[in-house]
Amino acid sequence: MSIWCEEYLLKGKKKANSVKKMKNLVRINSPEYPQLLKETKKPPDILYYKGEWDNTIFEKCLTVVGSRRMTKYGKEITERVVSEIAAAGITIVSGFMYGIDATAHKAALEGGGRTIAVMPCGIDVIHPEYQKDLYGEILENKGLIISEFESAHPPGIWTYPKRNKIMAGLSAATLVVEAGPKSGTLITAETAKMCKRRLFAVPGPLTSVLSQGTLQLIKEGADMVISAQEVIGAYDLKSHETSLSPASGRKSSDPARFSDLSVLERSIIKQLQREPMDIDALSRIAGVSSSRMGTTLSLMQIKGLLYKEEAKYYVK
Amino acid sequence: MLSKVPSASNLGLNTTSIDVEVNLADRGLPVFEIVGLPSKAVDESKERVRTAIKNSNIKFPDKRITVNLAPADIPKEGSFYDLPIAAGILAMTMQCELPGSSLFFGELSLDGTLRHTKGALLLALFARERGIKNIFVPKASANEATIIKGVNVYAIEDLNQLLAYFLGETKLVPAECRDVKDDEACSQAEFDMEEILGQEQAKRAMEISAGGGHNLFMTGSPGSGKTMLARALPGILPPLTEKESLEVTKVYSASGRIPPQGSLIKIRPVRAPHHTISAVGLIGGGTNPQPGEVSLAHRGVLFLDEFNEFPRSVLEALRQPMEDGYLTISRSRRRVDFPSRFILIASANPCPCGYLHHPAKTCICSRREIERYRKRVSGPMLDRIDLHIEVPVVDIKEFSDKQQTKLRETSAHIRTRVITARQAQTERFTGEGIHSNAEMKNKHIRKYCSLSKESRQMLLEAVRAFKLSARSYFKVIKVARTIADLDGSREITVSHLAEALQYRPKIQGGEI
Repeated sequence: MSIWCEEYLLKGKKKANSVKKMKNLVRINSPEYPQLLKETKKPPDILYYKGEWDNTIFEKCLTVVGSRRMTKYGKEITERVVSEIAAAGITIVSGFMYGIDATAHKAALEGGGRTIAVMPCGIDVIHPEYQKDLYGEILENKGLIISEFESAHPPGIWTYPKRNKIMAGLSAATLVVEAGPKSGTLITAETAKMCKRRLFAVPGPLTSVLSQGTLQLIKEGADMVISAQEVIGAYDLKSHETSLSPASGRKSSDPARFSDLSVLERSIIKQLQREPMDIDALSRIAGVSSSRMGTTLSLMQIKGLLYKEEAKYYVK
Repeated sequence: MLSKVPSASNLGLNTTSIDVEVNLADRGLPVFEIVGLPSKAVDESKERVRTAIKNSNIKFPDKRITVNLAPADIPKEGSFYDLPIAAGILAMTMQCELPGSSLFFGELSLDGTLRHTKGALLLALFARERGIKNIFVPKASANEATIIKGVNVYAIEDLNQLLAYFLGETKLVPAECRDVKDDEACSQAEFDMEEILGQEQAKRAMEISAGGGHNLFMTGSPGSGKTMLARALPGILPPLTEKESLEVTKVYSASGRIPPQGSLIKIRPVRAPHHTISAVGLIGGGTNPQPGEVSLAHRGVLFLDEFNEFPRSVLEALRQPMEDGYLTISRSRRRVDFPSRFILIASANPCPCGYLHHPAKTCICSRREIERYRKRVSGPMLDRIDLHIEVPVVDIKEFSDKQQTKLRETSAHIRTRVITARQAQTERFTGEGIHSNAEMKNKHIRKYCSLSKESRQMLLEAVRAFKLSARSYFKVIKVARTIADLDGSREITVSHLAEALQYRPKIQGGEI
């Protein structure tokens, strides 16, 4: 045995000693170690965590993954579907990254459910840092922060695949919201498949790059998600809310909100329910000046009928 | 033997009187000396004067020549002392009288002719102020000096002509003011608004910007037409008033940017410096302070493309001149004021790669990169911009049918509305010391922008709905005032305010 090897082993022993003394970790031989994760290939020996370790949190888990560069559509779907699933008592597992991950965590909290964030870095690091409010909220709401890396380990290119493996391994099913081709999200989905877990994917428009991954998954046999019901159904649970209605949303179909509107306002609502648009497109279709359209849109925004994001208008 | 030739020197836009004293001493070696803190250019004047006189077939005196530029403690710069020095020497050698109440100013060429010299307009202004009747300037610079009425401007071609006049052999007639042919300002814009497809809101924002002198900030992906829009703006700007024209011409005269035979500038200047510009280049400065781009854009447009790429220090330096309408350049020896009342048109990409929220292309920027990019423009800077718009990417296919073409307005058409609005503002602000709605301070807003109960109610609701800050609140009223002016309305109505809300600044650090 070379000197290098001996040193390495020695270091390993030292590390093991220091680990023994630490709290807030679960070993693979502990009965508390999540059963589903243990069943996967090469599960991590030690899981570091923050929060109150309660094994019931692992009973019914759904992993939600998606692109960091989510679109408005991806955000809306995640908010609607995930909060409903969380409300049904399913734990939402995600990766604490900005984009779909953070939206999923927030939606789970919104739905009054528990959520687990699996970190790509040491347990003492909040990454990305500006999401520390969310970090705190997850812990306050009986959630968990999990990582296989100790203390201040920085995130790196190689830590993400390891994190993805834990994410896929913790849950009985994985929901993919938006994924570009050759993305990290797809790697997680692939891992979930390898672990023989169920895979759900949200369909998206063919024109969006971020739909290419999800549509490919559906083509390959992933279950298409049209409502939260399908996902909840897989867990033998009953949801106390009815499924979400299509694109127009629930509130906008309420007739009372749109009473006493002018002809122009009515036509704007009609256009926007079909597809969000910018002011130039709206004024061209309605055949009015940009000035008049601007006036109308501002007033409708004040009335709370519309909201604007990324230069486009949406019906509230 | 001593001769005193009055001249004047320009420092920034201010002119001070300088006496050029020329002494020919019979005793001593034939030396030519200039005293009175001359710079290199002034000192070299000796060679120019000597050669020019010789080349004009006039005998150069073999005497000890001492030239004193008084007051002797101010550093002298520039080449315009050639003419007064030469005039002094000629008067001494030819034993003739210099005309009284006159100023001499101009650079000599070695062949004895006079060259175009910067600052002739400022000299004429100074002469009128001091009640000096005549000024002698190079022929090429005479036209800009003739703008000032009440001063006889003698356009001098060469030294022989001047000498003949001194000797009473010929008579000189004061130059007449010749207007340089101006094309309509419309034709000065590279594009007509009509040529721009779509972008209805952006065009309207341009109109409001021109109508009230409001600064404008555009964000949009590459190729959405930001630069084209900015280039079309001069076509809808109102013509310069006489007073404004003079202000602009003064700055251009001081920095030597008026071409030979040039006259009053009647077109609003448009300056579009590149983002690698230095702070001094933008603001002005130097040991002999020169106007920067902000002053050259006075009463016109300063277009800063790729706004976020400008060094932060440069942009921050822009704040004070934007606010005050003038700036003071202070150096250890000099202090100079330059005007800087311009419309700022800034444009930027939404992110470093430019394709954030692009309908077809994918953005490759990370969130941190985008945040860093946006933070390059400070909040106080954005606060000074009244109109904020997003310029969407236009799908050309949508505009194939001819019907769309009919709907588009020409620049000339928009310009008439802008002119009406500006006239209303000129009437409103007589005696207030401001010219446009954008310059209104809170006291002016209270005085001239009274809102009806209904409008006030709507605005309060908007404050709640859009979380407007106090500053944005006043900004919306200012913009609404301009929209009302464009509409020809005395009152600011609910719909004017509602439209103004479209151009409110986006919340900083909002969703990316």
